[in-house]
Parts: sequence; C-alpha cells; structure tokens
Amino acid sequence: MTTLGRVVATELRPSTPHQFSFWTARDAPLGIGSIVRVDGDERVVYGVVTEAFAYSDLARPLDAVIGADGDPQREADAPTVRPEIRLWTAAVLRQIPEEPLQPVPFGGVTAASDSDVRVALRMDAFMQPEKSTGLPIGVYAAGGLSAPVLLDADFLLGPEAAHLNITGVSGLATKTSAVTFMLSSIFQTFPAAKGSVAAVCFNVKGPDLCFLDQPASLGEVDLALWRRLGLDPAPFPDMTLYAPFKADGVNLNTLRSNGALADTVQPLVWGLREILDYAEVVLNRDDIDAKADALIDFLAERVVGKQFEAPELRGAAFEVQSFADLEEFFRAIFDHLETSRGGEVWRTHHIATIRKIRNRLGNIATRSKGLVTDDGVANDLPWGAFRDRSLTVIDIAGVDPLAQDLVFARVISRLREHLERRDLGVDHVVVFVDELNKYAPADGPDTYVRKMLLDLSERGRYLGLVLFSAQQFRSQVVRRVTGNAGTTIYGRMDTDELALQAYSTLSPAVKAKLAALPKGELLLRHPHFTQPVFVRFPRPAALSGREGVERFPPAPDLPFADAVVRRLRALTPSIVADQVRAVMDGRPEAEVRRALSATVRRRPDDPFAFFRAWLRRTIPSESPEPRRGITPLASDDDDPFAPY
Amino acid sequence: MPGSPFDGLRRELVAAGAHPATTPWTELTRAGSGRETASVEILDLPFRHIPVGELEAWDSAVAFLDGSQHVELVGHVGTDPVVAAVIRAAVRERANRQLRVTAELSRCVVVARGSVLDRLAGVLTGHERINLDASVPPHPLHDLDRAHAAIDRARAALEVAVSRLHRAAHDHWIIVDGTLAVSPEWATDPRMIGVVKSHGALPFEGADLETYLTLPTGHRSSAFVLGGGGRPELHAWGLRLRAWEGHDLFHGLVRVEVAARTAADVAPDLLSGRLLAERSPLATGPRSDRMLYGIHDVGRYLRVRSAVT
Repeated sequence: MTTLGRVVATELRPSTPHQFSFWTARDAPLGIGSIVRVDGDERVVYGVVTEAFAYSDLARPLDAVIGADGDPQREADAPTVRPEIRLWTAAVLRQIPEEPLQPVPFGGVTAASDSDVRVALRMDAFMQPEKSTGLPIGVYAAGGLSAPVLLDADFLLGPEAAHLNITGVSGLATKTSAVTFMLSSIFQTFPAAKGSVAAVCFNVKGPDLCFLDQPASLGEVDLALWRRLGLDPAPFPDMTLYAPFKADGVNLNTLRSNGALADTVQPLVWGLREILDYAEVVLNRDDIDAKADALIDFLAERVVGKQFEAPELRGAAFEVQSFADLEEFFRAIFDHLETSRGGEVWRTHHIATIRKIRNRLGNIATRSKGLVTDDGVANDLPWGAFRDRSLTVIDIAGVDPLAQDLVFARVISRLREHLERRDLGVDHVVVFVDELNKYAPADGPDTYVRKMLLDLSERGRYLGLVLFSAQQFRSQVVRRVTGNAGTTIYGRMDTDELALQAYSTLSPAVKAKLAALPKGELLLRHPHFTQPVFVRFPRPAALSGREGVERFPPAPDLPFADAVVRRLRALTPSIVADQVRAVMDGRPEAEVRRALSATVRRRPDDPFAFFRAWLRRTIPSESPEPRRGITPLASDDDDPFAPY
Repeated sequence: MPGSPFDGLRRELVAAGAHPATTPWTELTRAGSGRETASVEILDLPFRHIPVGELEAWDSAVAFLDGSQHVELVGHVGTDPVVAAVIRAAVRERANRQLRVTAELSRCVVVARGSVLDRLAGVLTGHERINLDASVPPHPLHDLDRAHAAIDRARAALEVAVSRLHRAAHDHWIIVDGTLAVSPEWATDPRMIGVVKSHGALPFEGADLETYLTLPTGHRSSAFVLGGGGRPELHAWGLRLRAWEGHDLFHGLVRVEVAARTAADVAPDLLSGRLLAERSPLATGPRSDRMLYGIHDVGRYLRVRSAVT
C-alpha cells in the first residue's frame, strides 16, 4: 500500500466528517472519481475524489510575465521549475468506526484496493457468502485497479427501494447499453431465493432493443470486463418481440422482420375488449368527466362482449365484439335520437357525451390501425405465463403516439393487476421505458400515462413492478418519477443540463467529467453509496439495433397475399404459395386476417389445413354487380342548355 | 505611485536632471548599521558599466544556501533578558530544474549572561547556551542587541556548517544568500558565489559611487577587491538584475562575491550571465527585485520547516 498523499487541513479548508483535502505528488495516479483510503488516529476513512486543484507559488499572473520578461518562451527556459501542488478534495464514503462521527484525520492517503472498494461502498453489507444480493453493474477502475461494483438487489428490485433511472445525451448508446447490460446482470445473478424475474422493454426508437437475443462480437477488453464481473457474455436466451401490424394488418410494424428471426416475433393485436378498459388513455383533461366515465363504464359492463337488448333502437339484440359493431351500435342510438322519438338523452347519456366517446374510440381504431383489430381476434402478451428470466420487447417505435400511450397504459396496468394477484408467472418484472421526458414530462399535461408512471414509481416496488427509465434530460421529467428511483445513473451529459440547480450537489470537476464521459462509463448513485461513483461497464453481449439491422435486414413489405404466405411459411416452410393464394381467392382481407391470426395463435400441426378449414367456415362473399344507372347523354348532344 | 502629493515635485526633479524614485518608503533599502565607505582596489579600470552579454545556463547542478532564525525574548532573570532562538540552514540543489534538499541543520539556542544561564541550567536541557560577554556592564536593551548579534553569528556558523555538510558529497556551485566574508572557508571556496542584497556597506564614493548605483539592467560594474587585512580576498562586482529606473537606485542591485581564485578562473561576465538567468522565475515577496528564485525557495523551505517542527 503505497502512500500517495497526505491529508491537509487549514482554517479555510478544514477536514470535516464529510469532506477532506489531501496533496499528492504531481504524478500520483489519481483522478476525479478515484476512491482513496485514509489511515490515521485509529480510524479508516474512505473517500471519493470530487475536485482537484493545481497551483504554484506564483502570487499573481503578472509575476509570471515579469519573471519571463514578457516572453512566454523564456518561462519554459527558466532554470528552476516552480513547485506545484496537486491538491485534491474528496467526499467521505465511509468511516470506520462509524461512531462517533469525526473529522477526517490527518493521515496518509492510499489508493483504494479491491477490498477497500467493497467496504467503502458498503457492499460488504449485502455481499455475505451464501446470501449475497449483489448484482454486478460495472467495475471501478483507477490506477490499474479494476474492482467490481455491485448493486443490492433489495434496493434495485425491491422491496427496500427500487427503480433505476438513467440520464444521458442521445447517440452514445450509453443509456440502452447500460440498461441492457444491467438486465443481463440481473438475469444471471438475481438470487433464486428472491424469486423469479422477467423484463418488459418498450422499444420506442428504431431497432434499439430488437435484437437482444442475438450475440454480439465483443473485443478482448469487454470480454475481460464481463469475466471480471463474473458474468457470462451471452445475449438474452429467452426473448420474444411483440409488434403491432402495419395498417395492412399482415406486415409487422417492426425492423425485426427478417425471416430468420420470425420464430420469436409475435404480433401485438388488441380488440375492442382490450381497448375499452383503457379508453381513458385517449381522453384529454377536458374529456374526463363523470358523464364520459359513466358512458364508458356502461359500454364495458353492459354492451361490449354481451347480448344487449335495446328495443327502442332495434328489435334484435346487439352483439358488440368489434369496433365495427360498436359503430353500428352508436349509429343506432343517433338514429333513434335524431328522430322525434328520442330527444337529446338516451338512457341518461346525453347525445353530446355519446358523440364524444364515439369519436374518441373511433379515433383509436383509426390511429392505431395495426394494433387494434376489428375482427375480434387479439394476440396479447402471455399474461399469467411469464417465464423466469424471460425478456419481452414490445416494439412500438413505428406506431402513432396515441397507440404508444395505449400500449404503455395497458401493458403496465395489466402487469400491475397480475402482480397484485400474484398470477403473472414471475415475482418481479422490470419495465424499461426510454424517452421518459416524453411520457412523463415535468411540464406537460397530466396524461394517463404520466399518472400511471408516477403510480408505478411510487408504489411498484411493493408489488415487484420495477421501472427502469431513461431520458436525455432528467430536468424535463416529473421529479416524483426520477426522485423515486433508488438507483440513478448518469452517462455523458449535456453541459446546459448540468448547469441546472438540480445538479448543484455535483462538483464542477465531476460535472466536467460527466460532460466528456466516454462510452461505457457512467456515474452511479445507489442507496448504499454515500457518494456517486464512476464505474465502467462492458458492451452488452447482444446486438445493438444498428448491428442487428445490418446483420438481419428487415424484410420488405409484401403485398397482402404474399405477406400471408410468408407468415404461414414461418410456421411451415414447405407450404405452397399457390395453394394459399387459391384458398384466399375471393375472400375479403378481414376474413383472411382472421384465419391467419387464428392459425398463428393456435400453431397447429398442419397450419395450411387449419388455415383452409378456418376460411371454409365462412361463406365467401360476393361483390354485387354495380347497379346500372341512367345512360349518360351522348357527348355530341347538341342540347344548347346542357352544362357542358 | 498613483495619487502621490509629490508627483509634481518628481516631474521637477526630472527636469532638473535627477532620477525620480517611486519605491514605497517601507520598501526602501536602508543602510542599517555598518555603513562602510572605505576605498577598495578596482580591478577593471576605469570603474565603469560592463554589459554582461548573453544569459548563460549553468552547465551542471547548482545549489542554493540560506539560513533563517526565529528569535524571541522569553523572559528576564532579574533585569537580565533571556533570548531564545531557533536557527536553521539548508542547501537545496537543483537538478533537472527541480530543487531538492541536500543538507539541513537546525539549533535551538538560548542567549543570556553566563550567570543567568547557570541559574537556568536545570530548565535549559536540549538548548545550546550562548553566553553574553560578562565584561560588558548589564543593560536590558543593549543586552538584547548583543543577544541578537550573537544569534546572527550562530546562524552564520550554522550556514557554514551546512555548506560543509553539502560539500562533503557535492562539488557543484553553491550560491549563498549574503556575503562570503563570514567564513574563510567560504571566501576560499572556488565554486561558491555570494549574492549580497543589502547595501549597508558601499565601498565607493563620488563618481564611482554614482557609476555603481546607476548600473543599467543586465550590466555589471568593474570588479573590485574586498577583504584583506589577514582575511582571504574576495573579488566582487555590482550586478543589476532588474531595471531600477522609476524605482530607486538600489532596485535590482546585488553585489556578487567570489573567491579571488575563482575570479581568475571564471570570467565575471559568465557568472553574471548565469545569475541573470536566475531572475526567472520571479521570486515574489520582500526584495523580490534582487532575490534569486533558488534563494527564495530555500528561505521558504526553512520557514515551512520552522512552522512544522
């Protein structure tokens, strides 16, 4: 243990129980973020370097000018180099003994060793043999040392504290990479005694999270980091990607559409029943009132999915299963009210309220085409059958913001419901939401999604529902969401953002380092760490979105019939395209979609036979001949009163 | 000196051919005791200003020597004062542009009349004792002055001792803060230079004095001989480190002393050029106009050591 420096304290710069200064030789291998150890007065103090100063005995800049006769070159030629001090400020991480808490003694300063890092960051509290709850997140690297840094699972996934928030500028892959690596670490090291865990990631940008089950090629440095952390550099073995269809209802709206990966891609399709409970998502503040709520509740409880008798509207009962059925139902109400029989109120619901709800719900079907099906066949996440260490990616990068909100709201709400009932299939679920400043903005409207994220951040840990969130500007996210994150990560930061009051607890030097932080390094706050520490993490072992798209180029969108063939071929490569086309011939696209959806969902032994049998159950529709109208006048008619 | 009530008078002095000065009164070079105007032997006649030429870097390591003293009146026995002092001396050698300590000595001394020291023998363990001359009648104030002089001599002896310590292992040039005349050993050391910043002893009169005190920057005076009378001869010359115009006559002026044989072997111009190179970096603090940075560094080292121990 080489002594690198000594604690100094003056009246103007005294040692305190939380901060101290020390000097070193000019070439001491320390930097901002280095962890040091002070020994003195039967006390050991660990600190992290937060600020550094260097100065010489020069009293005034003018003295340098005079000493060099105004020639900068002559200063370099001066026979004597002025003595120069390297003075460091460190924030105390831990004192041993912890009581009585005293100012840092004037002892020798050494660089922290592996075991020192463990003690300094209080990792010894949760890294006891046999019952460790440590989850590796990276290594503390300084002066040739590479010490693993672990987070306490009880404080990352609950119940003590929970949630993780990461901030960083876009384009450096830090946020996505850090979360991906962290999920790998959780899946590999989360103690079985603590229960099962799964992750649900919302992919909201390009192909970011679409290829996390595909192995990446790692360099020796990254492999060494994985090994140092005791982790296997492998992609996620159990990943399923869910993506809505495009508007055509057969081509998936995802960049992971390469045929080689079709096995693990599932369509995300919801019907009216799935949507109705979350209709509030699409209502803005002005829409939300007791009348609208009452009508939605009425529809959900009495109409949708049930036989609804309304003799005043029509003789036959309504069977509302789809948006088309719902539109027919609304049309009947309006017809009823617009006649002299009805007036302005139908069964206590005012016509204006009915029109508003009809418009909003109709809006979902229009703007979320591809996600919302009108044929009544839904394909949803495996509620109740989530597998331990499974990763579910929901790709909503290409869908309308309204549909994104809908997906967020429904998925998170359903996760919550199932976790409350303990019937999700796993005990803990990590939900990763990127672009948090878009979904939970500090100054934006109080949307359903924002309220839902707030609720998740404030109460999720008791249920095992954990939010991993990321954003470019932390200051633009509602504080209660970021503030509830027990673990906070900062990647490279924008200097304007760092200038805000919210970052005033960071020293100027730490801010300067954050503003130029290289890829793979981050500043980490965790409840066990008294001060934030810089750690380095390896590149994830899974393909990044850009690499994935290069290796698995997205399949081009196909015409309807070809797209159906392709999706059936994903089930049975030997299927004959012409046979499929022949079966589809003359059938409406909606029917074909319904048959295809049922086939994919059921995965029968003979997909083609099942598909054909499903279509046979329906009577082919025939397009009526266009009605013959009045024969137009001949163009050479010389009628002087003809308009043209 | 902005806003001085004598600005007008200064302008008139310039018009009358005088040299205006702006050095604050408290920073002026004062003669103190020991004013000396005895004539000396001038080696380069006529006595004149000699340009030093190019600045010259030392061709090997060079050491700087200085001493310090911390003196306090610690009490009286009857009416006799008891004075205590910590005296220190150190040599810091420069190699690769960095200064490092090569020799260091310190002493704690107590100065008083012999009878007083005998009476205090039981409490003065660990202190060297210096007796004041008992033949001089006691006087509380005069005894203080004599105690101070005794401490000065003790410090000079300690500086000689530390130079000896350094010399035992190093034969590079040593630049001493002050005159070499304090010790025959120094006065004959062929690789020792004394740099005298105080000018209480001015060995010239009349035109030679004006020549001496109006040296332009980067110039030296003709060399002259100091000492004699049984003491080893020293060769000396004035050297202007920084322009004095606008300050006062002594601004940037030092007297350089070397052993007579040194002057014969090494040209005063070469040594002067080397000393001029030592103006940079600028030594801040009192008398910074004529302080070499290496000497300043040793002084600061000794001050810090005094505070630490």
